[in-house]
Amino acid sequence: MTVRPPTLREKRRYVLVRIAPAGCIPDPKELYLAVHDAATVLWGDAVASLIHPAVVAVENGCAIVRCRRGMERELAIALSTVTSCGGQRIALRTCATSGTIESLRERVASVHRSRPPSSGGPAECMIDGRLFMVCHCAGQKVDVIEKGFKNTTRFFLTTEDLEDQ
Amino acid sequence: MITDACICPRPRGDSSVRRMALEAHELGFDSLVAIDAPTCEYAGVSVMSGVLVRGAFAQEILPRVKRCKGTDTVVIVEAGDSGFNRAVLAMRGVHVLCGVHLTDRYGFDHVAAKIAADSGIAIDISLAPIIHERGATRQRALDRYLDIVMLQRRFEFPLVLSTHARSVLEMRSVREISALASLVGLDVGDVKQALGNAGRLCSPEPAVRVIQ
Repeated sequence: MTVRPPTLREKRRYVLVRIAPAGCIPDPKELYLAVHDAATVLWGDAVASLIHPAVVAVENGCAIVRCRRGMERELAIALSTVTSCGGQRIALRTCATSGTIESLRERVASVHRSRPPSSGGPAECMIDGRLFMVCHCAGQKVDVIEKGFKNTTRFFLTTEDLEDQ
Repeated sequence: MITDACICPRPRGDSSVRRMALEAHELGFDSLVAIDAPTCEYAGVSVMSGVLVRGAFAQEILPRVKRCKGTDTVVIVEAGDSGFNRAVLAMRGVHVLCGVHLTDRYGFDHVAAKIAADSGIAIDISLAPIIHERGATRQRALDRYLDIVMLQRRFEFPLVLSTHARSVLEMRSVREISALASLVGLDVGDVKQALGNAGRLCSPEPAVRVIQ
């Protein structure tokens, strides 16, 4: 297959999204399916085919999503309706749009640097008489999961909330 | 002041009010209306106490509304049928009518819009059904919101935008809210005004301003 000359290639845009909650690394294929589903359900097949979304990379808690040039707005709206990926609750926060992946990779590094490092907070804590396991602790933010194999709900708290308990 | 007009922290949701305030600060908000949370300030975000009132009849909700009178609590009433909505919109002490997208088409009509404009009660456009629902439910919500926006342009009652987030994962940034609101015909100026309305609900501008 011959490669098309640059003038005949379709123009693309790349959208950088931050994946919440911190520490969640979704499978790129699962993320692609979630983004594609959100775009199709919101805009319908005709517009989704024009958006032509694709997940290019997932790295350092961020993802780079590709779309056709001129469809960035539609993609960004669709991204904000993504609520789960592979059965896990997530949120995709749009950070930047660019014409090249390279510039977004630089941005990924700056987003990664701006995040407070995961600190070694308490391993366990008691809230309302129940035992919780700290699964992520960065800066003032603390994410906990109730101990036990049945309940895997994640709670989003702060260090002050834990001190109050 | 850029305000998310309704969030539901713990115990209704899975995130504490402090964590939601931290997240709101990162997402570009100045203040929040938190249901059943005390008024406070955290991470530079002012948290306003809110109460969500639900009832089948106007008489049923009246005592709860009266209890909040004279406090800085934002009183949000869930919409019902046409008669209920008209009675609530004429009630003193109510600040916001929410859940209009769940009512039938005649639940919020031109008469209710006129009463809302006269009494200065805001109508809430919750982005939760747009974000979380799919298919017919989302289409119905979008249709109802388009109708509300059309009535708002005609009667100029205040609008507020909210996420009804029960988790930090359900909160959206100001930019995302602006993009989502464009689906129901709100431009950037309308969104800015709607996000600013919630902060003005508890301290409305007086009809007459004394200069000297």
